[in-house]
Amino acid sequence: MRNGDYSPTRFDAQKDAVSLISGAKTQANPENTVGVLTMAGKGVRVLVTPTSDLGKILACAHGMEVGGEMNLAAGIQVAQLALKHRQNKKQQQRIIVFVGSPVTYDKKVLELIGRKLKKNSVALDIVNFGEEDEEKTEKLEALLAAVNNNDSSHIVHVPPGPSALSDVLISTPIFTGDGEGASGYVAAAAGGGLGFEFGVDPNLDPELALALRVSMEEERARQEAAAKKAAEEAATGEKGEQSTSQDVTMAENVNPGTSEPEKKTHDLTDDENALLQQALAMSMDDSSSTVAVRDTDMLDASADDHDLQLALQLSVQDSQGDQSNPNDVNKIFPDQSYMSSVLAQLPGVDPNDPAIKDLLASMQNQPENKEENKEPKEKEKK
Amino acid sequence: MATEAPSSLQRNQVDLMEFIDWSGVECLNQNSSHSLPNALKQGYREDEGLHLESDADEQLLIYIPFNQVVKIHSIVIIGPEEEGPKTVKLFANREHMGFSNVNDFPPSDVAVLSEDNLKGKPVILKYVKFQNVRSLTIFIEENQSGSEISKVQKIALFGSTVETTDMKGLKKIEDH
Repeated sequence: MRNGDYSPTRFDAQKDAVSLISGAKTQANPENTVGVLTMAGKGVRVLVTPTSDLGKILACAHGMEVGGEMNLAAGIQVAQLALKHRQNKKQQQRIIVFVGSPVTYDKKVLELIGRKLKKNSVALDIVNFGEEDEEKTEKLEALLAAVNNNDSSHIVHVPPGPSALSDVLISTPIFTGDGEGASGYVAAAAGGGLGFEFGVDPNLDPELALALRVSMEEERARQEAAAKKAAEEAATGEKGEQSTSQDVTMAENVNPGTSEPEKKTHDLTDDENALLQQALAMSMDDSSSTVAVRDTDMLDASADDHDLQLALQLSVQDSQGDQSNPNDVNKIFPDQSYMSSVLAQLPGVDPNDPAIKDLLASMQNQPENKEENKEPKEKEKK
Repeated sequence: MATEAPSSLQRNQVDLMEFIDWSGVECLNQNSSHSLPNALKQGYREDEGLHLESDADEQLLIYIPFNQVVKIHSIVIIGPEEEGPKTVKLFANREHMGFSNVNDFPPSDVAVLSEDNLKGKPVILKYVKFQNVRSLTIFIEENQSGSEISKVQKIALFGSTVETTDMKGLKKIEDH
């Protein structure tokens, strides 16, 4: 246990892993309780009876000393007894064993213990580290096979190496096996975003994760369209093809919103929400400053894309000409023609494009009329 | 309603299945693919293909709480000839027993099932012991042939309710 094959020593690595697991379990569910017992030394000793108080659990780690021989069978049996006398009988029972020393018991004895655990529906997780022993591995595997009921029990072999015991354990089913929020705690403990998009655990906050994903996709689509618009203007030869593809992209973005014109106020997607916020900001404040803000956001997002920068410059010129539009936005909010005004303010979208016009025409007649009124205004300004 | 044993329906004995509190029902040592609802629930227990099976060894420990106080008159256990239960111990009002303490208490009743019983003949219990039952624990100690696995096709309990207030009924009246 004092060996340095796990940094800093086996014992410390084990203590770290224990505190990490206790933390994860207590966080996963407020009704979870965790207890700790030691198997070596003078005999099996329960240091902490199952409690949900993480402080108590971590404090008991201080008193632990290295010494004596490990008594695996007795340890597991005492653990089973401690679980049996838990206060909340509805809790599921699980034992997590850290096996560092060699195992002195027979395979038969271990199998018997395993079967008894299974009979009493106690799950068992085994962390095999420390002594590398063929027999030991075999015995532990046999024990696991005897206990395992529907994959609720697991075994993890941790060979000695540079990575810490805790890090190796994080990715195992011992941490994530119960599902629920355990993985969320782990992500936070390991420094954020482990395996989760945007660093937000979909289990903990599904709406936020969804909103982030949708706005990311929307942003991507918008950048694509802007890039295509820039390419179109830079290389006039390919104009025809690209404009149609760009229109298709924009049309796809627009369609979800336009399919339900009546319920516009209540069914605003994240897409439109973002646009709405921008439109409002523009109508409230000085247009140039807020537009600049918006453009810097986009610049940050794609600093490497020269075409995109060109497009942004063009759009800034465009927006400066659209001073009167925000007023219109105020008047017609939340009308169907709000959609067309928003389109006008999007960089890379030319409302004079026939495809967009047809789209808007497919909505009710009134918006179309308003759109036609506004387009001449824009033409003048440009 | 059960039709195999009309004698158990004397004196207003009803099938106590509707008084079982399903959220608290537990079964230790059951095989997860052949679980307790197969033997207890309406519909499942009539299905020949679905039965309750034990897992690690032949013993089964079934805990059934009720949502009101009942009196249990008789019990029907149907199972196959070979692997069906033989010695069944019943405990009234003992919460959360385990295999280790099941032999620490004297059972409220012991039933040794014969072949007839396994076909559907009800076992009449010591009624006096089951007058005030909030929960019932059924411990299947061994099976007919001594095989590794015990199988139970159906478990039915017959009895009557004590005149306690059914809280759900109370709520409905208040609605008016």
